[in-house]
Amino acid sequence: MIVGLLMLGGGAAAGVFGSLLGLGGGVLIVPLLTLGFGLPLREAVGVSLVSVIMTSSVAAGVYLERHVANLRLGMTLELFTALGALAGGSIAFLLDERLISLLFAGLLGYVAFTMARARPAAQLEASELDVAPTSDDPARTTLLDRLSGEEYRIRNLGRGVVGAIGAGVASALLGIGGGIVKVPLMHLAMGVPLRVATATSNLMIGITAAASTVIYVMHGGVDPYVAGPTAIGVFIGATAGSRLGHRVDLRLLRMLFVIVLAYTAVQMLLRAVG
Amino acid sequence: MDDRDAPTSGTERRIGRALIAITYLSVALLVVGVGLMLGAGISPVSGGPGLDLATIGSELAALDPAAFLWLGLLAVIAAPISRVLLAAIAYARTDDWQMVAVAVAILAIIAVGVATAGAGTV
Repeated sequence: MIVGLLMLGGGAAAGVFGSLLGLGGGVLIVPLLTLGFGLPLREAVGVSLVSVIMTSSVAAGVYLERHVANLRLGMTLELFTALGALAGGSIAFLLDERLISLLFAGLLGYVAFTMARARPAAQLEASELDVAPTSDDPARTTLLDRLSGEEYRIRNLGRGVVGAIGAGVASALLGIGGGIVKVPLMHLAMGVPLRVATATSNLMIGITAAASTVIYVMHGGVDPYVAGPTAIGVFIGATAGSRLGHRVDLRLLRMLFVIVLAYTAVQMLLRAVG
Repeated sequence: MDDRDAPTSGTERRIGRALIAITYLSVALLVVGVGLMLGAGISPVSGGPGLDLATIGSELAALDPAAFLWLGLLAVIAAPISRVLLAAIAYARTDDWQMVAVAVAILAIIAVGVATAGAGTV
């Protein structure tokens, strides 16, 4: 009984942070289940992926209702995260886990550093937020127009596509939603406001994780007794987080994001050298 | 932005509500499963059974905790896939075939992943 309640509570904490920060919560649930409850890593990753989908569905549902998430942009990038996840799943068993951890620790550290230094979108010059497309191709102009929001304009779609594939690969290799890559990618590289990037990332995470979770289920990598209480906890936490999201100060959100990134980078580094 | 954006905000609202409804359904099933599990004195770390679609119906009738948990977990997995499917239908109604193609491609990629996992190649 107590173990079940602890799993529920841990899932709730991961759900709140995951929803607020555009993460699937996987970076918190995997260490919780492995270090806190002694579960094997593969089993923890399987349960984490279920929780990642739960976080995404709860938050994305609310964000879509409030028209905060950019569905067109999310689905377009989802196509490439899904492709990346498929490729990542294929090479996951060929690479040394320590090498993957080391590479990811470096990536997280870089993203945390970049986010910590980035200016808030409100401080950017108008010309930076509304950059005219550099291509004369009318089809590309139309696509950018249609993917853009009412108050912002998408730029660097090509970089976004490449980053989305990378996010999908990282998701499949590490069992995370990939929001730690997608949010800064959309916010910093593509000019999407942080709140919209967070909401759209939540939307995209579900599909990326769904394909991986099916594979885990088919290989016996998901334990229903662990996944049940953890997923319920994540649901409670993610519901609270998504309803708090529009009230949270953006600077606080950014600071929380940087802290989580830095913490995860240290955990990855320890995993690589330990 | 073009005129096809007009119906999108209402569509997104409906898709969001459907996503929430499926998620609530999955949570309800999981709550029943966890309640039955704890009521039966089963520890979450005791190791649960794998998914067996052939017997899940009879296990549900017998109030087996694992059956309710598996049904809830399958609903969790189905939620984002349903969202893409609903989006494809909504975009088709507004003749936005570019987004329909994107949605169909996403579903095709997931299907390939399931097929390769089923074949034991992943």
